[in-house]
Amino acid sequence: MPKRFKMWPKLIVMPPVWEAWLPILCLVVVSVAAGISAMAFLDHGAWGGSTTANLIVGAGILLLWGNYAVLTCCDFSRSVLIIYLDLFILLVAFVFAFDLKYEVIFENLPALLGLTLRNGFLQGAALTLFVCVASIIAATLLALLAALGKLSRRPTLYAVATFYISFFRGTPLMLQVMLIFLGLPQLGIVLSAVPAGIIALSLCYGAYMAEILRAGIEAVPRGQTEGARSLGLSRPQILWLIVIPQATRLVIPPIGSQFIAMLKDSSLVSILGAWELMYIAKAYGRAEFRNMETLIAAAAIYWVLSAIMEFGQSRLEKTFSQGALMTR
Amino acid sequence: MKTTLFASILLVLSATAASAGAVLDRIESARKLVIATDAAYPPQSFLDKDGVMKGFDVDVGTEIAKRFGVSVEFVTPTWDLVIAGRWGDRWDVSIGSMTPTEQRSTVLDFPSIYYYVAHVLVVHKDNTTINRPEDASGKRIGIGQGESYERYLAGNLVLDAVGAQRITYRIMGAQVQAFEGNAMALDSLKLGDGVRIDAAMTSLPTALAARKAGAPIRVIEPPVYHEPLAVAIDKNDPEFGARLKEIVAAMRADGTLKTLSLKWFGADLTSPVQE
Repeated sequence: MPKRFKMWPKLIVMPPVWEAWLPILCLVVVSVAAGISAMAFLDHGAWGGSTTANLIVGAGILLLWGNYAVLTCCDFSRSVLIIYLDLFILLVAFVFAFDLKYEVIFENLPALLGLTLRNGFLQGAALTLFVCVASIIAATLLALLAALGKLSRRPTLYAVATFYISFFRGTPLMLQVMLIFLGLPQLGIVLSAVPAGIIALSLCYGAYMAEILRAGIEAVPRGQTEGARSLGLSRPQILWLIVIPQATRLVIPPIGSQFIAMLKDSSLVSILGAWELMYIAKAYGRAEFRNMETLIAAAAIYWVLSAIMEFGQSRLEKTFSQGALMTR
Repeated sequence: MKTTLFASILLVLSATAASAGAVLDRIESARKLVIATDAAYPPQSFLDKDGVMKGFDVDVGTEIAKRFGVSVEFVTPTWDLVIAGRWGDRWDVSIGSMTPTEQRSTVLDFPSIYYYVAHVLVVHKDNTTINRPEDASGKRIGIGQGESYERYLAGNLVLDAVGAQRITYRIMGAQVQAFEGNAMALDSLKLGDGVRIDAAMTSLPTALAARKAGAPIRVIEPPVYHEPLAVAIDKNDPEFGARLKEIVAAMRADGTLKTLSLKWFGADLTSPVQE
């Protein structure tokens, strides 16, 4: 078998016709992208001259064929790495095509990252992380309670849990944030921006995660519970020692997605005047009428943070799947 | 859209009005005046490189707190939350270049006008068709959500201030595009003439600052309309309102307001403009 067939994983069986068309498809995509970025350059007059544009397109095509040649003799994981790099370069080229002033990004980076305090409190990415971690802990606890409530045979617990899940899944998070910020003071409870935001995020994500946890708990085979009962374990023991550990393994990927979604939804707290990442990006950018620069920097920071969370998730998945074969 | 959403939230929630003198008591006991303003509205209020709030509104607020004999703290809730009223003691006063409209005076009080501003239409520098405000009739005009321009362009801006000028509606049938904040309207204009919007409305100081910062815009003469801008407080606290009115009047009388206006706007905007 020729060496290059190794680049396809066994799961994806590529018909030979497809494989022949793939480089051409790539070529089209990259040419279009290069063309667009070249046009953007010309439009802003940043580079100017059609020779430069031709050079960019030419270099793009050359790079693409070079890439293809390298890919044909690489194994799967190396190919993936190269393609990651290609896509990343395309993304950077896209961003470079904007008319940006890069010093605005670097000047404001410390504030965006939250390396400095504001009035003795966190700001920027540090505040975003703080809000997220607090909400993750509270939402997980809420979700567990709501999931157990929904599985309960007691009408009160079941009703409270389903009502909660329905309301907080059924209304926009932004509205919940405002209801907590504006509504609670009418009852005499005045919360400042950060606690109000944490409560809204926890309530909303707790409701979504409750359904995930319930699905995870229900997916644990009935035989497990029955076996544990016949060994004389009590109901709480069965829940904590048998069901939840097995359910955890199942729910890690969807819960991980929820955490990542929460990281980004935490930007809604900015409407209350909390100086988290999104707020800082907007405020500093607007001071110099340079919005795009700080927003792109914020996008990069959010992305890095969620990449770290993705990595953590894959590590957790490995840890929890260790006993998986034995429990089957 | 968002304003309507807000109005409905407020209808649902039963309102408790601030009791008279409560704010003054709080300022006295906390020894600080909490002021709501925007951190992204240069040159009225913005962040400098060190993350310190600067600008005309910030200086006016700092001076008012000084004359109360207390320290100052700025908070930066989104504009919609400020104009919604019922602040729940989170901040004492809004010094954020607010237009005292009749609609807003149902939830807020406007104890004092502190300066007057001209609102202008700005277009991309490549635009050739819009040369007077009237030319923008029927065009796509960008503004920030909840700004008084929304009402002006809809033809129902009613000012709630003594001596406010009668509003002449010069732009008819505009297709209003409301963005999240005025800055995004200017950003949309920067994309090119007619790419997303044909013109944007903003205050003259903001337009001049944007042009100075390199935004490719042209300011249309004459201004679309003039309006007074007011200090705003939560409803029903005449004692606090009276103190603010007194302080702002003193700042006007001793020339402090004028000095600040010259510092930030390069012009004296503290008295009404005659058209």
